[in-house]
Amino acid sequence: MEFVDDLLTFEELGKHLKYQGCHVANLSSLDFTAKNGVGGCLRSLLRQFLMSSLDPADISILASWYREENCNNPVVVIIDDIERCCGSVLSDFILMLSEWVIKIPVILIMGVATTLDAPRNILPSNALRCLCPFEFTLGTPAERMDAVVEAVLVKPCSGFIIGHKVAVFMRNYFVSQDGTLTSFIRALKIACTQHFYTEPLSVILLEFASEEDNLVFEIERHGLSPEVIWKHVFEFPSCQRVKLNKLTSESLAHAFSELKRLQNQWRAVVLCLYVTGKGEKVRLLDLFCEAIDPESYNQGEFDTNMKAEKDPVLSSSQIKGHVICKAVRLVRDLSTAQLGKLLKMWENLTVGIPEINGKVKELLSLLNVEDGKSSKKDLTVTPRRHTSRIQLNIEKDSKSLSDKAANLIECMVRDYMHPTECIPFHEIFCFKDVDKLQLALIGDPRRGIQVDLLEFQKLLCCRCCTSSSNALLPSMHDTSIMYKLAQEHGDLINLHDWYQSFKSIVLCPNSKRKPRQSPLPKKRKGIKEAESQSEASIQARFCRAVTELQITGLLRMPSKRRPDFAQRVAFGL
Amino acid sequence: MDFNAAEEEEFGFSRNYFLAKEMGSSGKKSARKLSDINVVDEQELREASANIEPKHQNDVADLINSYKSLYPKWVFDLRCGFGLLMYGFGSKKSLIEDFASTALAEHSVVVINGYLQSINIKQVIIALAEILWEQLKLKRKVSSGSLPKVQQPFSSRSMDDLLVFLDGPEMDEKDSFICVVVNNIDGPGLRDTETQQYLARLASCSYIRVVASIDHVNAPLLWDKKMVHAQFNWYWYHVPTFAPYKVEGLFLPLILAHGSSKQSAKTALIVLQSLTPNAQSVFRILAEYQLSHPDDEGMAIDNLYSISRERFLVSSQVTLNAHLTEFKDHELVKTKRHSDGQDCLYIPLTKEGLEKLLSEIS
Repeated sequence: MEFVDDLLTFEELGKHLKYQGCHVANLSSLDFTAKNGVGGCLRSLLRQFLMSSLDPADISILASWYREENCNNPVVVIIDDIERCCGSVLSDFILMLSEWVIKIPVILIMGVATTLDAPRNILPSNALRCLCPFEFTLGTPAERMDAVVEAVLVKPCSGFIIGHKVAVFMRNYFVSQDGTLTSFIRALKIACTQHFYTEPLSVILLEFASEEDNLVFEIERHGLSPEVIWKHVFEFPSCQRVKLNKLTSESLAHAFSELKRLQNQWRAVVLCLYVTGKGEKVRLLDLFCEAIDPESYNQGEFDTNMKAEKDPVLSSSQIKGHVICKAVRLVRDLSTAQLGKLLKMWENLTVGIPEINGKVKELLSLLNVEDGKSSKKDLTVTPRRHTSRIQLNIEKDSKSLSDKAANLIECMVRDYMHPTECIPFHEIFCFKDVDKLQLALIGDPRRGIQVDLLEFQKLLCCRCCTSSSNALLPSMHDTSIMYKLAQEHGDLINLHDWYQSFKSIVLCPNSKRKPRQSPLPKKRKGIKEAESQSEASIQARFCRAVTELQITGLLRMPSKRRPDFAQRVAFGL
Repeated sequence: MDFNAAEEEEFGFSRNYFLAKEMGSSGKKSARKLSDINVVDEQELREASANIEPKHQNDVADLINSYKSLYPKWVFDLRCGFGLLMYGFGSKKSLIEDFASTALAEHSVVVINGYLQSINIKQVIIALAEILWEQLKLKRKVSSGSLPKVQQPFSSRSMDDLLVFLDGPEMDEKDSFICVVVNNIDGPGLRDTETQQYLARLASCSYIRVVASIDHVNAPLLWDKKMVHAQFNWYWYHVPTFAPYKVEGLFLPLILAHGSSKQSAKTALIVLQSLTPNAQSVFRILAEYQLSHPDDEGMAIDNLYSISRERFLVSSQVTLNAHLTEFKDHELVKTKRHSDGQDCLYIPLTKEGLEKLLSEIS
């Protein structure tokens, strides 16, 4: 799925052009309103180029500025939402620019077009005639995403890493909700804030990322006493699983270096898989999500998946870890030359891991030998009968090589790709709280406010309102009672009936008590007063509850056409 | 939340919607009217409204107190550049203002009450610019060369200039930002697109951080993706307080107060009594027609003219038009396009109101 992250694209383009020496100005649809006319966008241009706002804004000022600058650097104007601009103002602007094009040549970068004929729809033909369009193709957003994931999450960057569930959530959010890199990066930033705030030991992340060996010393330098650290670290679920016996400085240092080593191995394997699958559009984000899945690793699912891959009945997306399997499968189909290139890349990536590096080098040398044999065979003249057999031999040899390579990468995945969540002490570096991230990133007021009203006992924890059945109790919050009653109606609520049901709920315990016939007139009057007072207060409470529902937007007030009914806007859970 | 569970929930919402619509159309519509309720006197109602005893006071207080432990996290988030968005049932005004006065004591804070009917956003931005100017002067960041000697007063500058000033050169970590607290950023005074755009641009200024609250379920519709991700940079917090909406509901009419219908009947009476007897009689013709033809869309103007001429109330079309203009100005009469293309007139009052009116003016 391809999405355009226009926000980031235009921002980065502007920065890049400025860096190259161009004069760049950013305009948006707010500068092209009918209210301000062409003067609005000119004023904005003057402010951006001349750093001052002059009234009246005139293009001759801009032209004289350009002449004074006496430079050959182009002037670039980026308009990032032309479809929201007022068409007439935009066309006036373009016509004006075309009149002054000799004095001040301007390159216009416009976006975003959601249809093929967007410019034609917005601008009249005389303005379109002035434009001289050029087409450029930028790198795809998916490539950008891969680059970001590689730099931030795979390669050693800050030491911060996200857990499997968080990664899957962020990928789904990117794919199904927003599709912009901006939102992905923002989610990552929110994850960072949450992690750094909740995990006290995350202060050491920076040292961990750099090649500091004396990590424990660094921790103590931050003012944390060893006892406190060890107590905190003991409570990590990952440490409890492993059953650490004695926790001394040395064992802590050893554990950290072990973590680093395993992470480096994981990193190398993932990058090897990535370079393998790059040509076939294997996305790093998908690969990343599979590679950090602790469950697949723990249950040894990878092996079963490889076998399942060969089963044509199962669809590839049903198999967990199918992206990894796809990458591995690709190795088998490579030609000798391609395999050679791939192995060289693997060799570079596994420099820090001698065990794997050795095997890769072995394969490479085998490949070179094969190459040598095949080239020698090309030189000698052979009768035609033998050529086909030799051809077959060459093919068989290269097939066995690619099989060997595929086996190698399978073995790498199985033995060296330890997801971070399986390693002790990973809680210091790894953010796993996906629920918290989701709440912070995507507020859901429509659902949230209804849940507040319907299930308020969970929040208020009062004893008076707990009932085993779903019965409405008079001690409940008035607005909650009203909203629950509203659920029993269709989309229109008769106000009279609603009031009567509210009244009956609220007066429920008192309904059994009948006013006693008193011989004294004073007392009767007193009771009547009390009744009418409570009637007033019930009506007041009803009014207030309806007002509160109106403020939350859950209810539409009666209109002149239907004065006796209120309309429900939200339909509950 | 599992991806599939989220989909199930979405499905559940739409199912409820269709069920409710079905229930509404299939069942018998209750014929009871709002006026069937014996509403107490409006004065008494308002008094009772002011004296409603809030329920669960202790539990609500405990809940609000429990949010105090989040204050340091909120300050941390603000310093990281996020904007805080509080949502949940209950008034969050006292919560946010308590947060601002305790945890943000070293920063300048400006409060915008979005629940008011109308808000002048330019005044707010001028105030912010003035605060920033004072702050910069204090820190002696302003070197003599960087600003014009004669400083144009902020109140006469344009919005764009002010926003550029507020989005000054990169803020140092040690600089304190100015916090803008917006109670009900989705309130009636702030709902229009222009104001929201200005607020978004304000939020993206380097010296400004925003803490806002919303109450409406559809509040997120106010913002596009640029505003959410790049400008406001919202960090959502679910903080239901169950505190009563005292101040936010002040401007909304009480539903049982019969405000609108009674008011318009009263004003209609007052206006009619001030008109000439001829005008009153013309009105009477219209009213009588409306009462006797309750299913008609209104009375055709030609019809009214012919009857008025018969009764010697008007001598020409011009006189009738003068009367009609006067009625329309006072909103006594409205026009509608009839199905056969003619304009017809009707009085926007209920049957009972109209009958009462007629009895009063005769």
